[in-house]
Amino acid sequence: MNFKTSAVLLVAASMLSISASAAYAQTELKVYISSQHQPDLWRQALDTYEASNPDVKVVIETGGNTSEAQAQYLNTVMTAKDPSLDVLILDIVRPAQFAAAGWTSPFTEMDMSAYLPAYAAANTVDGNVVALPAFADAQFLYYRTDLLEKYNISPPSTWNDLRQAAAVIKEQENNPDLQGVSFVGKAIEGANCTFLVPYWSQGKELVTDGKLTFDHDAAVSALTLWKDMIDEGTAKANTAEVATDDVRKEFQAGNAIFAVNWSYAWAQAQGPDSAVAGKVGVVPLPRMGDGAPTTCLGGWEWAVSAYSAHQEEAQDLVKYLSSPEVSKFMAVNGALLPTYGDLYTDAEVTAAAPWFANAKAVVETAKPRPVTPRYNEVSEVIRTTVNAVMAGGSTPEEGADLIQSRLSRILR
Amino acid sequence: MAMTARTESRSTTEGNTTPWWVRYFDPSDRTLAVLLLAPAAILLAMIIVYPVCRLIYTSFFNLSLTSGLPAEFVGLENFQFMLEDPVFWQTTGNTVLITLVTVPGALVVGLGLALMANLPFRRQWPVRLSLLIPWALPLSFAGLIFAWFFHSEYGVVNDVLGRFGFEPIIWFNSPQWAMAAICLTIIWKTSSFMALIILAGLQTIPRSLYEAADVDGAGRVRQFFEITLPLLKPSIVVALIFRTITALQTFDIPYMMTNGGPGTSTATLAMYIHQNTVSFLDLGYGSALAVVMFALSMCVTVVYLRMIRTKG
Repeated sequence: MNFKTSAVLLVAASMLSISASAAYAQTELKVYISSQHQPDLWRQALDTYEASNPDVKVVIETGGNTSEAQAQYLNTVMTAKDPSLDVLILDIVRPAQFAAAGWTSPFTEMDMSAYLPAYAAANTVDGNVVALPAFADAQFLYYRTDLLEKYNISPPSTWNDLRQAAAVIKEQENNPDLQGVSFVGKAIEGANCTFLVPYWSQGKELVTDGKLTFDHDAAVSALTLWKDMIDEGTAKANTAEVATDDVRKEFQAGNAIFAVNWSYAWAQAQGPDSAVAGKVGVVPLPRMGDGAPTTCLGGWEWAVSAYSAHQEEAQDLVKYLSSPEVSKFMAVNGALLPTYGDLYTDAEVTAAAPWFANAKAVVETAKPRPVTPRYNEVSEVIRTTVNAVMAGGSTPEEGADLIQSRLSRILR
Repeated sequence: MAMTARTESRSTTEGNTTPWWVRYFDPSDRTLAVLLLAPAAILLAMIIVYPVCRLIYTSFFNLSLTSGLPAEFVGLENFQFMLEDPVFWQTTGNTVLITLVTVPGALVVGLGLALMANLPFRRQWPVRLSLLIPWALPLSFAGLIFAWFFHSEYGVVNDVLGRFGFEPIIWFNSPQWAMAAICLTIIWKTSSFMALIILAGLQTIPRSLYEAADVDGAGRVRQFFEITLPLLKPSIVVALIFRTITALQTFDIPYMMTNGGPGTSTATLAMYIHQNTVSFLDLGYGSALAVVMFALSMCVTVVYLRMIRTKG
């Protein structure tokens, strides 16, 4: 949908709503969207919906600019059984928890086969579809095309390749501010992926069918990989302070050869404020030795609050928000990765974001973080341990011991 | 006027034949006292007594909203689990450490600030205003500001250290340095509150005592220890009570500065309670932890109240 059509639709919508308001009794639905997720753009999609459903009026409530802040707010609202929110946007790690707490209503007879399989799986808990995908995301390896070309190095496919490439470039460039790789070491949600990506790459699973399947050796080598990169100077010594958006800023300022980050960093790295605009490449994350390439599955989901007084209308709205049309609209206008496979090669989408054509392969290798109602506790254990190991407070072995003992208690 | 009216009506009520509504409109002193105290008592019951009782009640249940199961009575199981929980001991230890370091720290700094503010400046208001600022700043803002001060790359602390030829410290990378940064911040934030109370105390000490001491030939130091400190004791005890109780409940500053990191090495008991109840939705265990913190605060208050009573 281009600007003209949406403008026409907008006008049509406003005219319709004026003429319709007298004739219909309107249902008002309140949609919760986190403020970092382009609520203005979702508003446009909602306007289109209101135009074709004159008996429904949708208002947006925004809040919480990080996944944690948002979850805290929603935890409070849902614990109070507050009926004021009808539709919620949730980080991909949360639908299982919300469903177990009875905070969301399941979608019955919902066909999930059109979605990318990972998203169909992440929204299905015990055979029930508990939420529908809003948009996809995954972690990628961002790299500086100019520096790699200058030293005739191809994008690394293993972490050891990356370390060698970084060592060569750092030595030749002789720039003390230039880091080899920037990644999250702060104890935030993203630090779980820091641990899980190299762990998974060794062919191991953390949780299988809700039970802990922890591989101690794989965990030690995953933590050792990052710690070694800090100790040898590939990553900076204060990585334990680095959060997701710091990774974006370091790379955007031209201070990192490689960076592990989500898709949102692309638009800003190529934007007018970027020191590296036009010099940015994106490839799948490297693998461990001869392991499999893998990445952390991200993205956000739409769910219907169990306390909503308008279940049917809210479910219809969510089905619309998760539809291919809206997914495409958000991909073209908001650079959000689609949740439908065929949209990645759609001409309008690739015209707006050419790198999406390569992103599908990465999203397809992405693995979900453990799906469990007690995810918040699992997450806290992993991210604080990653943080402690990156800070040098505990060794990778101690870290692996701690994760094992604490997770076995949570997931028993 | 009212007094005479009441005595008159009381004389007429003898004989116990007055209907209740007469007593209601013209109560005895005792009923009047009850009526006047009732609003405050009801309010306190609703916002303090009921929640505390409910907290203690919940602490005997296994109530986790993520389990999807109804609350189950488990007796003392939550408390038993707490004894084996290393994070409980670590966060409690950190809380006690922060209290032991920052309460005397804030007292010493606050006393110094109060003595300076009490000096005969020509213009006293800029000094007193600047004393107020740290106290008026919201805790989380102070935490955020100091988190940036102590940032290893962009922080002013490392910049100053560097100018004097010291190696930069990655403050939040080590449990010891992170704890030191937190304690310094808390002392900065809370010493102005101490200073305000002590300054008020200082102003009640009559000048004549110092003049008499001068006549008797006592030096400045002697005057401080023999006059200033003893007469400040009541103010200091009051300041210490408030400071100790808030120190036991330390949350905002470490939450904003380190969020308990690295690992859980700077997390406090209040942060652990918040994590269990708000993030993990484990209301049973969170309540049990809160009961422990409540008991700890009560003990400290009782000790201090005893101190006040014996002192005077």
